[in-house]
Amino acid sequence: MTPLAWTYLSYLVLAIPLTVWVARTLHQSGRIFLVDSFLGNEALADSVNHLLVVGFYLINLGFVSLALRSSERPLDFQGVLETLSTKIGWVLLVLGVMHFFNLYIFARMRKRALLRQALPPVPPQGQVGAL
Amino acid sequence: MKNLYVLFDQDCALCRTCSGWLAQQPAFIPLHFIPLQSPDLERRFPGVGKLDFREKLVVVSDEGAFYQGPNAWIICLYALRDYREWSFRLAHPALLPFARRACELVARNRLALSRWALKLPIEKLSQKLQAMPPEVCSTTPGGAC
Repeated sequence: MTPLAWTYLSYLVLAIPLTVWVARTLHQSGRIFLVDSFLGNEALADSVNHLLVVGFYLINLGFVSLALRSSERPLDFQGVLETLSTKIGWVLLVLGVMHFFNLYIFARMRKRALLRQALPPVPPQGQVGAL
Repeated sequence: MKNLYVLFDQDCALCRTCSGWLAQQPAFIPLHFIPLQSPDLERRFPGVGKLDFREKLVVVSDEGAFYQGPNAWIICLYALRDYREWSFRLAHPALLPFARRACELVARNRLALSRWALKLPIEKLSQKLQAMPPEVCSTTPGGAC
Protein backbone atom coordinates (compact mmCIF):
# COMPACT_ATOMS: atom_id res chain seq x y z
CA MET A 1 0.00 0.00 0.00
CA THR A 2 1.16 3.52 -0.80
CA PRO A 3 1.46 6.16 1.98
CA LEU A 4 -1.63 7.87 0.48
CA ALA A 5 -3.68 4.69 0.81
CA TRP A 6 -2.51 4.40 4.43
CA THR A 7 -3.64 7.99 4.98
CA TYR A 8 -7.08 7.27 3.56
CA LEU A 9 -7.45 4.09 5.56
CA SER A 10 -6.36 5.73 8.84
CA TYR A 11 -8.64 8.67 8.10
CA LEU A 12 -11.68 6.41 7.72
CA VAL A 13 -10.73 4.30 10.74
CA LEU A 14 -10.54 7.47 12.85
CA ALA A 15 -13.28 9.65 11.35
CA ILE A 16 -16.13 7.10 11.27
CA PRO A 17 -15.86 5.93 14.91
CA LEU A 18 -15.40 9.59 15.91
CA THR A 19 -18.68 10.51 14.20
CA VAL A 20 -20.43 7.54 15.82
CA TRP A 21 -19.06 8.47 19.25
CA VAL A 22 -20.14 12.14 18.94
CA ALA A 23 -23.59 11.11 17.66
CA ARG A 24 -24.09 8.70 20.57
CA THR A 25 -22.91 11.25 23.12
CA LEU A 26 -25.25 13.86 21.70
CA HIS A 27 -28.10 11.36 21.63
CA GLN A 28 -27.60 10.38 25.28
CA SER A 29 -26.69 13.72 26.85
CA GLY A 30 -28.90 15.80 24.60
CA ARG A 31 -32.10 14.03 25.59
CA ILE A 32 -32.63 15.90 28.84
CA PHE A 33 -31.93 19.22 27.10
CA LEU A 34 -34.49 18.38 24.41
CA VAL A 35 -37.10 17.27 26.96
CA ASP A 36 -36.66 20.65 28.65
CA SER A 37 -36.77 22.50 25.30
CA PHE A 38 -40.07 20.82 24.51
CA LEU A 39 -41.41 21.63 27.98
CA GLY A 40 -41.52 18.06 29.24
CA ASN A 41 -43.02 16.48 26.11
CA GLU A 42 -40.84 13.35 26.23
CA ALA A 43 -42.35 11.59 23.23
CA LEU A 44 -41.69 14.62 21.01
CA ALA A 45 -38.21 15.08 22.46
CA ASP A 46 -37.31 11.41 21.79
CA SER A 47 -38.64 11.64 18.25
CA VAL A 48 -36.69 14.83 17.50
CA ASN A 49 -33.61 13.38 19.18
CA HIS A 50 -33.73 10.34 16.91
CA LEU A 51 -34.33 12.44 13.79
CA LEU A 52 -31.44 14.69 14.75
CA VAL A 53 -29.06 11.74 15.09
CA VAL A 54 -30.09 10.46 11.66
CA GLY A 55 -29.49 13.93 10.15
CA PHE A 56 -26.21 14.18 12.03
CA TYR A 57 -24.98 10.84 10.63
CA LEU A 58 -26.02 11.75 7.08
CA ILE A 59 -24.29 15.13 7.11
CA ASN A 60 -21.14 14.02 8.86
CA LEU A 61 -20.59 10.75 7.06
CA GLY A 62 -21.36 12.59 3.81
CA PHE A 63 -18.71 15.15 4.70
CA VAL A 64 -16.22 12.47 5.74
CA SER A 65 -16.62 10.70 2.36
CA LEU A 66 -16.42 13.92 0.35
CA ALA A 67 -13.32 15.04 2.22
CA LEU A 68 -11.51 11.73 1.73
CA ARG A 69 -9.69 12.62 -1.46
CA SER A 70 -6.48 14.49 -0.84
CA SER A 71 -4.50 16.62 -3.27
CA GLU A 72 -1.38 16.07 -1.20
CA ARG A 73 0.80 13.05 -1.83
CA PRO A 74 2.50 12.05 1.42
CA LEU A 75 5.74 10.22 0.82
CA ASP A 76 6.65 9.15 4.34
CA PHE A 77 5.20 8.59 7.80
CA GLN A 78 5.47 12.27 8.70
CA GLY A 79 3.57 13.26 5.57
CA VAL A 80 0.85 10.71 6.38
CA LEU A 81 0.47 12.15 9.89
CA GLU A 82 0.29 15.74 8.61
CA THR A 83 -2.33 15.00 5.97
CA LEU A 84 -4.30 12.89 8.40
CA SER A 85 -4.20 15.59 11.05
CA THR A 86 -5.54 18.22 8.64
CA LYS A 87 -8.37 15.99 7.54
CA ILE A 88 -9.38 14.92 11.04
CA GLY A 89 -9.17 18.57 12.11
CA TRP A 90 -11.74 19.51 9.49
CA VAL A 91 -14.04 16.67 10.55
CA LEU A 92 -13.81 17.80 14.19
CA LEU A 93 -14.51 21.41 13.28
CA VAL A 94 -17.57 20.48 11.23
CA LEU A 95 -18.84 18.29 14.08
CA GLY A 96 -18.31 21.15 16.55
CA VAL A 97 -20.03 23.77 14.39
CA MET A 98 -23.02 21.48 13.83
CA HIS A 99 -23.21 20.74 17.53
CA PHE A 100 -23.30 24.43 18.53
CA PHE A 101 -25.74 25.25 15.75
CA ASN A 102 -28.11 22.58 17.10
CA LEU A 103 -27.76 23.93 20.63
CA TYR A 104 -28.51 27.47 19.40
CA ILE A 105 -31.66 26.35 17.57
CA PHE A 106 -32.93 24.43 20.59
CA ALA A 107 -32.15 27.25 22.99
CA ARG A 108 -34.26 29.55 20.77
CA MET A 109 -37.07 27.01 20.60
CA ARG A 110 -37.03 26.64 24.37
CA LYS A 111 -37.18 30.40 24.85
CA ARG A 112 -40.15 30.69 22.49
CA ALA A 113 -41.96 27.81 24.18
CA LEU A 114 -41.42 29.38 27.62
CA LEU A 115 -42.66 32.75 26.35
CA ARG A 116 -45.73 31.10 24.87
CA GLN A 117 -46.62 29.58 28.23
CA ALA A 118 -45.76 32.63 30.32
CA LEU A 119 -48.46 34.31 32.39
CA PRO A 120 -49.14 38.02 31.71
CA PRO A 121 -46.42 40.29 33.11
CA VAL A 122 -48.96 42.70 34.63
CA PRO A 123 -52.09 41.98 36.67
CA PRO A 124 -55.49 43.33 35.64
CA GLN A 125 -56.58 46.42 37.53
CA GLY A 126 -60.10 45.19 38.12
CA GLN A 127 -63.13 43.51 36.76
CA VAL A 128 -66.08 44.67 34.66
CA GLY A 129 -69.00 42.66 33.46
CA ALA A 130 -68.50 40.83 30.18
CA LEU A 131 -71.12 39.39 27.87
CA MET B 1 -57.74 34.44 28.60
CA LYS B 2 -58.77 33.52 25.07
CA ASN B 3 -59.60 36.91 23.56
CA LEU B 4 -58.72 40.50 24.34
CA TYR B 5 -60.91 43.47 23.49
CA VAL B 6 -59.03 46.68 22.84
CA LEU B 7 -61.21 49.71 23.49
CA PHE B 8 -59.64 52.72 21.80
CA ASP B 9 -60.53 56.30 20.91
CA GLN B 10 -61.45 56.39 17.25
CA ASP B 11 -61.03 60.19 17.11
CA CYS B 12 -57.36 59.94 18.07
CA ALA B 13 -55.13 59.51 15.03
CA LEU B 14 -52.33 58.05 17.09
CA CYS B 15 -54.64 55.50 18.73
CA ARG B 16 -55.87 54.52 15.27
CA THR B 17 -52.29 54.07 14.07
CA CYS B 18 -51.39 51.94 17.09
CA SER B 19 -54.55 49.82 16.83
CA GLY B 20 -53.97 49.37 13.10
CA TRP B 21 -50.46 48.19 13.79
CA LEU B 22 -51.59 45.85 16.60
CA ALA B 23 -54.23 44.36 14.30
CA GLN B 24 -51.63 43.46 11.69
CA GLN B 25 -49.34 41.55 14.04
CA PRO B 26 -49.48 37.76 14.44
CA ALA B 27 -50.98 37.10 17.87
CA PHE B 28 -51.01 34.41 20.55
CA ILE B 29 -54.26 35.87 21.89
CA PRO B 30 -56.59 37.36 19.24
CA LEU B 31 -57.15 41.10 19.68
CA HIS B 32 -60.55 42.60 18.85
CA PHE B 33 -60.85 46.33 18.41
CA ILE B 34 -63.88 48.27 19.62
CA PRO B 35 -64.02 52.09 19.36
CA LEU B 36 -64.88 53.87 22.60
CA GLN B 37 -67.55 55.63 20.60
CA SER B 38 -69.33 52.34 19.93
CA PRO B 39 -72.96 52.62 21.19
CA ASP B 40 -73.17 49.08 22.60
CA LEU B 41 -69.92 49.28 24.61
CA GLU B 42 -71.69 49.60 27.98
CA ARG B 43 -74.09 46.80 27.08
CA ARG B 44 -71.21 44.52 26.13
CA PHE B 45 -69.00 45.34 29.10
CA PRO B 46 -71.26 46.59 31.93
CA GLY B 47 -69.40 49.06 34.16
CA VAL B 48 -66.77 49.94 31.55
CA GLY B 49 -67.86 53.60 31.56
CA LYS B 50 -66.30 54.23 34.99
CA LEU B 51 -62.81 53.32 33.79
CA ASP B 52 -59.93 55.72 33.26
CA PHE B 53 -59.72 56.52 29.57
CA ARG B 54 -57.01 59.16 29.89
CA GLU B 55 -54.65 56.96 27.90
CA LYS B 56 -57.45 56.45 25.36
CA LEU B 57 -56.90 52.73 25.56
CA VAL B 58 -58.43 50.10 27.82
CA VAL B 59 -58.10 46.37 27.28
CA VAL B 60 -60.75 43.96 28.55
CA SER B 61 -60.35 40.18 28.53
CA ASP B 62 -63.22 37.84 27.69
CA GLU B 63 -63.54 37.18 31.44
CA GLY B 64 -64.05 40.90 32.11
CA ALA B 65 -60.61 41.62 33.65
CA PHE B 66 -59.57 45.09 32.54
CA TYR B 67 -56.19 46.71 32.03
CA GLN B 68 -55.75 50.46 31.81
CA GLY B 69 -52.85 52.91 31.69
CA PRO B 70 -49.44 51.37 30.94
CA ASN B 71 -50.77 47.89 31.75
CA ALA B 72 -53.17 48.12 28.79
CA TRP B 73 -50.28 48.70 26.39
CA ILE B 74 -48.26 45.92 27.98
CA ILE B 75 -51.08 43.40 27.74
CA CYS B 76 -51.48 44.29 24.04
CA LEU B 77 -47.81 43.49 23.44
CA TYR B 78 -48.17 40.33 25.55
CA ALA B 79 -50.89 39.15 23.16
CA LEU B 80 -48.57 39.46 20.15
CA ARG B 81 -46.33 36.62 19.08
CA ASP B 82 -43.37 38.77 18.07
CA TYR B 83 -43.63 41.27 20.93
CA ARG B 84 -44.35 39.14 24.00
CA GLU B 85 -40.72 39.52 24.99
CA TRP B 86 -41.16 43.30 24.83
CA SER B 87 -44.12 43.08 27.21
CA PHE B 88 -41.95 41.41 29.88
CA ARG B 89 -39.18 43.92 29.34
CA LEU B 90 -41.50 46.93 29.58
CA ALA B 91 -43.24 45.55 32.68
CA HIS B 92 -40.04 46.36 34.62
CA PRO B 93 -40.83 49.21 37.07
CA ALA B 94 -38.21 51.47 35.46
CA LEU B 95 -39.77 51.07 32.01
CA LEU B 96 -43.46 50.82 32.91
CA PRO B 97 -44.08 54.60 32.59
CA PHE B 98 -42.79 54.42 29.01
CA ALA B 99 -44.91 51.47 27.91
CA ARG B 100 -47.18 53.65 25.86
CA ARG B 101 -44.35 55.57 24.24
CA ALA B 102 -42.53 52.36 23.40
CA CYS B 103 -45.68 51.02 21.70
CA GLU B 104 -46.09 54.22 19.70
CA LEU B 105 -42.47 54.16 18.63
CA VAL B 106 -42.54 50.51 17.66
CA ALA B 107 -45.86 50.97 15.82
CA ARG B 108 -44.45 53.93 13.89
CA ASN B 109 -41.28 51.97 13.27
CA ARG B 110 -39.26 54.65 15.00
CA LEU B 111 -37.54 52.61 17.66
CA ALA B 112 -34.67 51.82 15.33
CA LEU B 113 -33.98 48.13 15.06
CA SER B 114 -36.36 47.21 17.85
CA ARG B 115 -34.76 43.79 18.19
CA TRP B 116 -31.53 45.48 19.23
CA ALA B 117 -33.33 47.96 21.47
CA LEU B 118 -34.79 44.99 23.32
CA LYS B 119 -31.31 43.80 24.26
CA LEU B 120 -30.29 47.14 25.80
CA PRO B 121 -29.87 47.29 29.58
CA ILE B 122 -32.94 48.66 31.43
CA GLU B 123 -31.28 52.06 32.17
CA LYS B 124 -30.16 52.58 28.55
CA LEU B 125 -33.59 51.66 27.16
CA SER B 126 -35.26 53.93 29.70
CA GLN B 127 -32.97 56.84 28.67
CA LYS B 128 -33.63 56.16 25.00
CA LEU B 129 -37.40 56.21 25.52
CA GLN B 130 -37.19 59.35 27.66
CA ALA B 131 -35.19 61.13 24.98
CA MET B 132 -37.89 60.56 22.37
CA PRO B 133 -40.66 63.15 22.84
CA PRO B 134 -44.21 61.82 23.09
CA GLU B 135 -46.26 62.28 19.96
CA VAL B 136 -49.04 64.86 19.97
CA CYS B 137 -52.56 63.52 19.99
CA SER B 138 -54.98 65.01 17.51
CA THR B 139 -57.89 65.16 19.99
CA THR B 140 -56.03 67.01 22.74
CA PRO B 141 -54.64 70.26 21.29
CA GLY B 142 -51.01 70.70 22.27
CA GLY B 143 -50.91 67.66 24.51
CA ALA B 144 -50.22 63.97 24.46
CA CYS B 145 -53.06 61.50 24.43
